[in-house]
Amino acid sequence: MPLTTSFTATPGQVQIVFSIITIVVLLHVFLGACAYSIMLERKLSAWMQDRVGPNRVGPKGLFQPLADGLKFLLKEDYTPAGVDKTLFTLAPGLIMLPAMIGFVIVPFTGAIDITGLIQWMGISEKNTTYMVSVLGADLNIGVVYLVAVASLGVFGVTLGGWSSNNKWSFLGGLRGGAQMISYEIPMGLALLAVILVAGSLRPDAIIGGQLAGAWNIVQLPVAAVIFYACMLAESNRAPFDLAECESELVGGYHTEYSSMRFALFFLAEYFHMITGAAFFTMLFLGGWSVNPFGGWDLPASGEWWMGLIQFVVFAFKMFLLIAFAMAIRWTLPRFRFDQLMRLAWEGMIPASLFVMLVTSVFLFLGWQDWMWAGSLGMIAVIFLALPIMPRQSDPNHRVKLIGSRFSPADEDFDATSVAESTVG
Amino acid sequence: MSTVTPISLAIDGIASYLPVAVIIVMAFLFIVANLVMTSIIGPKADGAVKGLAYESGMDPIGSARKRFNVRFYILAMTFLVFDVEIIFLYPWAVTYTKLEPGSAESALFLGRILFFIATSIIAYVYAWKKGVFRWD
Repeated sequence: MPLTTSFTATPGQVQIVFSIITIVVLLHVFLGACAYSIMLERKLSAWMQDRVGPNRVGPKGLFQPLADGLKFLLKEDYTPAGVDKTLFTLAPGLIMLPAMIGFVIVPFTGAIDITGLIQWMGISEKNTTYMVSVLGADLNIGVVYLVAVASLGVFGVTLGGWSSNNKWSFLGGLRGGAQMISYEIPMGLALLAVILVAGSLRPDAIIGGQLAGAWNIVQLPVAAVIFYACMLAESNRAPFDLAECESELVGGYHTEYSSMRFALFFLAEYFHMITGAAFFTMLFLGGWSVNPFGGWDLPASGEWWMGLIQFVVFAFKMFLLIAFAMAIRWTLPRFRFDQLMRLAWEGMIPASLFVMLVTSVFLFLGWQDWMWAGSLGMIAVIFLALPIMPRQSDPNHRVKLIGSRFSPADEDFDATSVAESTVG
Repeated sequence: MSTVTPISLAIDGIASYLPVAVIIVMAFLFIVANLVMTSIIGPKADGAVKGLAYESGMDPIGSARKRFNVRFYILAMTFLVFDVEIIFLYPWAVTYTKLEPGSAESALFLGRILFFIATSIIAYVYAWKKGVFRWD
């Protein structure tokens, strides 16, 4: 029964309304997921270390995130004396805002058939099925938007570190800035390999290609590994959390922050991680695809319950990725800063450039189905080339000290001159 | 109704960015509301010692805004070379995949981009030899 009023919406406006509803729902879901992934991390780390973890607030400690949030609100929002007040206030917002707006381009389920709704509104044409995309913003440059927005977080880290007028914060901010821009390059190049395979910047086209064929992690395993590592580095997660490593820099760039401003830094890290997991699922794990090798897959029938199944599959993959990142954090030791930089610039950037070039050459030769062989061949070439690569001298400078057991110096040795020449 | 190819409601052009504006406003409101709420609810107390920068319990020595290592600048410049390059590669990648594999046009596209990447690889090798990536 058509709606017979003077209501004149176009189908495009229906999509906008759906998008805005999706955004409002997903933002709340993700903020809740952020709070509970902090809880999950505490529980996981407790289990990995044979502890119990938070279990006092509510049944099995389930209200712990609420208690944490309340406590953050009730704490004093203190601004120390020597800080740059404008930037100090701005920095938490500058890191939280880019973290929160990135997820809108990720389609969490396939398109849903809303022909019934459109007919009810009386704006349908005959013999037409209307499919609505359940995602925030259907941008034609979707993945570029997400990469661009995610990399804006570097301003918050650097400004937060600089404005605090604290040496720990300053060093943390500098390190964070250097690290985030360094890992952006291999991330962009690995993404480029995916774009070459998918042939589009649209998120739904990238997932569609993986629904029809194999997942990108099967086709481009090296790019997937590089991308995941860069994702951890971009969100300042261990083993790349040198910007906030407590054993060296106290709290890093958020040492001087308290109450909700600190909480925003903390939330932004987890929001980055959730967005990153969604992005990785979309790019490499085929979105809601259940068959990694192509062939039968969840049909794009458009029923709402099929959309629900697709969303559950997507969310489950995201959950696995987040739990994996947490397991990495509590398993691997932290890098040293020179190792971190060398991994990015001397390891990942050549490797990702190589992946991208191999992918484009394979495309030229029409070997689309043999991408995985290209990646494996690349790994073989790297292992063959490693022994003949130029070696660096021992990066561990041992400062000679008079009377030292390990690196003794002669009596007439001037220790201060060596120390000054080697301090980085 | 069931026999025709389904059409997507997706819209193109600047109107597709409207939801992005919505999410920016929502994120902004979330941040501002949190900061304002905590500054209203939280206690307030100040003191000369409390305002000091935290330096593991000692009195801070000098300001933190000092000169820092020039390597960070050099790294940022090297980053710019690559970042601009990658931005150019995205539109290339989308166009390149639309071409017939092995055709003359495709070979031209591939050759041009190989030359373009080769120029930045030269810059990269130069930076490596100059020790930009050495942090020891």
